[in-house]
Amino acid sequence: MPSTDQPAPAAQAESATPSQQSEAAPKLTGAELKKQKQAEKAARRAQAVQGKVTPSGPPIPVQKGEPKQQKRRGSVAVSRDLPVRQPESNAAPKPPPVEDKTVEFFRHLSKPHRKTITGTPKDIHPAAQILGMQFSTYEICGSTARLLATLELFKELVQSYTVPPRTTLKLHFTTHVLNPHIGYLISFRPLSISMGNAISWFKREISKVSIDLSDAEAKNMLCDAIDVYIRERVTFADQAIAASTTEKIRDGDVILTYAKSSIVQRSLLQAHEEGKKFRVIAVDSRPLHEGKNLAETLANAGIEVKYCLINGLSHNIQDATKVLLGAHAMMSNGRLLSRIGTALVAMEANDAEKPVIVLCETVKFTERVALDSIVLNEIAPADELIIPGGALEGWRDVKKLQLCNPMYDVTPAEYIQMIVTESGCVPPTSVPVLHRLVNEPEIQ
Amino acid sequence: MPSLQAGYAPNLGFYLKSLKAQPVESSIENLISLLKRRQITNSRPCAVATAHLLLQVVAKFRWTNIDKLIERIQDVGRRLIEAQPREMVVGNIVRRVLGMVRDEAKEDRNDDASDSASNSQMGSPRQEHIDQGASHLGGPPPNFSPLRYSTTDDSDSTEANGDDVFGGKPQAASRPPLITSHTSYAPAGGLPPQKSMFQLLSANPSPASTPSGAQSPHNTSNLNATSLSHRITTSTKDLKAEVIEGIEEIVDELDQADDRIAAQSLEYIHSNEVILTHSSSRSVQKFLLEAAKKRKFTVIIAESYPNDHEATHKSVTRSIKTDAEGTDELTTPKFSKSLSDAGITVILMTDATIFAIMSRVNKVILATHAVIANGGLIAAAGARIIAKAARVHRTPVIVVSGVYKLSPQYPFEFESLIEYGDPGNIVRYQDGALVENLEVDNPVYDYVPPDLVDLYITNIGAHAPSYLYRIVADHYKTEDINFDKPELQ
Repeated sequence: MPSTDQPAPAAQAESATPSQQSEAAPKLTGAELKKQKQAEKAARRAQAVQGKVTPSGPPIPVQKGEPKQQKRRGSVAVSRDLPVRQPESNAAPKPPPVEDKTVEFFRHLSKPHRKTITGTPKDIHPAAQILGMQFSTYEICGSTARLLATLELFKELVQSYTVPPRTTLKLHFTTHVLNPHIGYLISFRPLSISMGNAISWFKREISKVSIDLSDAEAKNMLCDAIDVYIRERVTFADQAIAASTTEKIRDGDVILTYAKSSIVQRSLLQAHEEGKKFRVIAVDSRPLHEGKNLAETLANAGIEVKYCLINGLSHNIQDATKVLLGAHAMMSNGRLLSRIGTALVAMEANDAEKPVIVLCETVKFTERVALDSIVLNEIAPADELIIPGGALEGWRDVKKLQLCNPMYDVTPAEYIQMIVTESGCVPPTSVPVLHRLVNEPEIQ
Repeated sequence: MPSLQAGYAPNLGFYLKSLKAQPVESSIENLISLLKRRQITNSRPCAVATAHLLLQVVAKFRWTNIDKLIERIQDVGRRLIEAQPREMVVGNIVRRVLGMVRDEAKEDRNDDASDSASNSQMGSPRQEHIDQGASHLGGPPPNFSPLRYSTTDDSDSTEANGDDVFGGKPQAASRPPLITSHTSYAPAGGLPPQKSMFQLLSANPSPASTPSGAQSPHNTSNLNATSLSHRITTSTKDLKAEVIEGIEEIVDELDQADDRIAAQSLEYIHSNEVILTHSSSRSVQKFLLEAAKKRKFTVIIAESYPNDHEATHKSVTRSIKTDAEGTDELTTPKFSKSLSDAGITVILMTDATIFAIMSRVNKVILATHAVIANGGLIAAAGARIIAKAARVHRTPVIVVSGVYKLSPQYPFEFESLIEYGDPGNIVRYQDGALVENLEVDNPVYDYVPPDLVDLYITNIGAHAPSYLYRIVADHYKTEDINFDKPELQ
């Protein structure tokens, strides 16, 4: 991938993204768009740097997990002495007796995360590179935002795809374009449950494309399908959830919420616009401090907000009248997979006999089950826990010291009183039923 | 929490050094301002500072009457408690000292009572029998003692006197009891036998005179005056030495508490355990280190952000001595070994991870700031969610705490014990808009109710939370419990 032709697609992507997102995903606010742009810029800058650096990089044998085609092209690239994929952090050249700094409980989940777009395979779309960086820096964070961004990327991929001779979109696209891109995104951060659902839906859609359609027609059909999916499963779903949540907020309520959920934020803002008088207690935690963002947004809208970290949870739970939680996913056994710390909030709320209401689109439902937070989770890089200038900076030099930074925890179903979805308010026991209804229509 | 980097930041070490040189009053003021400015924080440093200060107060205070001393200690104690009511150990130490003074005074009084027998015989003839009876039983004669007696003692003695009077043991009995009483008290006091022998001789110039003396009332009154003043000085001096010794014992206890607790660790930790603890505590570290000498296990530490995380991070990466007050240790060697040095796997995590990891934890060990008589405890914020998560997962919760942290106070509103810290630790001033618009809450402590705790390990053994009231009763006198709140007494 010669560095000269990179700016063009990147710029194209940049010009394309905001307009698409503004029509398809109105929930991205101006600030978010701005951030996105900044990230894109950063990404481009990184690309420019990479252009200078990579030629000196050592040629590395291709990873096992990649599709065949890439292997071929990778080797071609090496022979041409062009920029090649950099070693990913797991392949980082370390002397063999290096201590394993991953936590034993989570070792099965500990995968190194790609931190730069250095060494991106040649045929990865620039938009995917940008998105990958945004995932890895948490510019785009949260299940819904990541889902939307991924679907937008898919649209972009479909549009920029040209069917090679002697094959069809239906046969070629999934294996040769979609899968490598998904693999590439996973190298930055594991897929969210909602992304998994959307990907399997999209693959079904591709397989449903009639062989008689022309390529252009097929592409249009797929793009339309994505738009409909986003509209139905996210945009309208969010509207419906926000509407029914707003109904549940009464004057004088004190709503406690944890970290940041886009749908919780939206519901609270909507309730405030409708003239409801309530207070919000925003509980937050290290290292992401997402709740600060939420608190800021709500406070700017004129809602009275109290902000505390999880150490102040027990002191504030008594004041709350309702607890609203966002979700990363709802498991089929009724448990909630959400930002690490949510289980503590639900536990305290349950202990203080406050109702716990989860706001969750059905696209986040999954047939998977979880008993604890250890089997199914995502481990973020431990270095994210370091406070600049703090004592932890040298933690890797301390023998037998490990840092543990999981992303999610599993909240027991008995702590949850209600799940507000676009299909209505259901108890946790109804999750598998609803999941079958909406996410797996083929089964019926 | 006190910043050590600044060379002149006053801390416990500096304070203790300054104690001897300064006049008592300025030392008191000094400690009050240190407490108010939070330059001495956490229970152990506060306890040590209080004990050393009281030592100086007792040593330099000129007193003639035990009540004066008690009043003086109460007064100093009240001022210290007012300076920082949430450092409950300050009050605890004052109460311990008060209780000890009362004990010593009581013992001394019994001594005196037997001593005074020799003098009392020169008193008015009317009292003779009663006094002799009193001396025989160790009870005090009200008029001649240099000390004032508490009502309980009085009633005891009168009762005893009554018995004795009716039992009718007049003069002959007076001498032998004198001696027996001396021998019985000798080990405690040290001096009494010689002193009283001397008194005996000096009080009765005529070698021939028998205790039944009092031949010339004129002579007696004279003698009485001199002996009284003499006795005041000797007994106060003596009592003073004992009180100082008692305070030194308390100081020693403070020093050794952690080691005593650590010595029990092998009974509670077996191999391959996963132990969760939070923030950085000297007691817990020592406890775990002691166990690490024999066994290998894993320790998970919650960092206790945003108030104690720096200390926690430093303690796991051993970039400083774990002991925050640095130079204060006068006797014990510095404690600087970190857990990972001892071969334990240490996992550091955020407070939010507690619930996720709890299903793999075998035991939770909590450090504490103060323990309340009902068995609940005040600990660094976050302790309550740890204890609750542990209960949900049926994981035992062990609290390690020196007995000096055990407070006889029983507040009915636990919120009053919670201190709120700097909101700037959560929302920094860089976030200008947020500072303007948000209410920020940063509690430093949590109250953990007794039903969330399974076991307390103190320097005197392991107890169920329900038993703590008994230990409180052993260590504090009921009359001292509310000394700082006159309205409750």
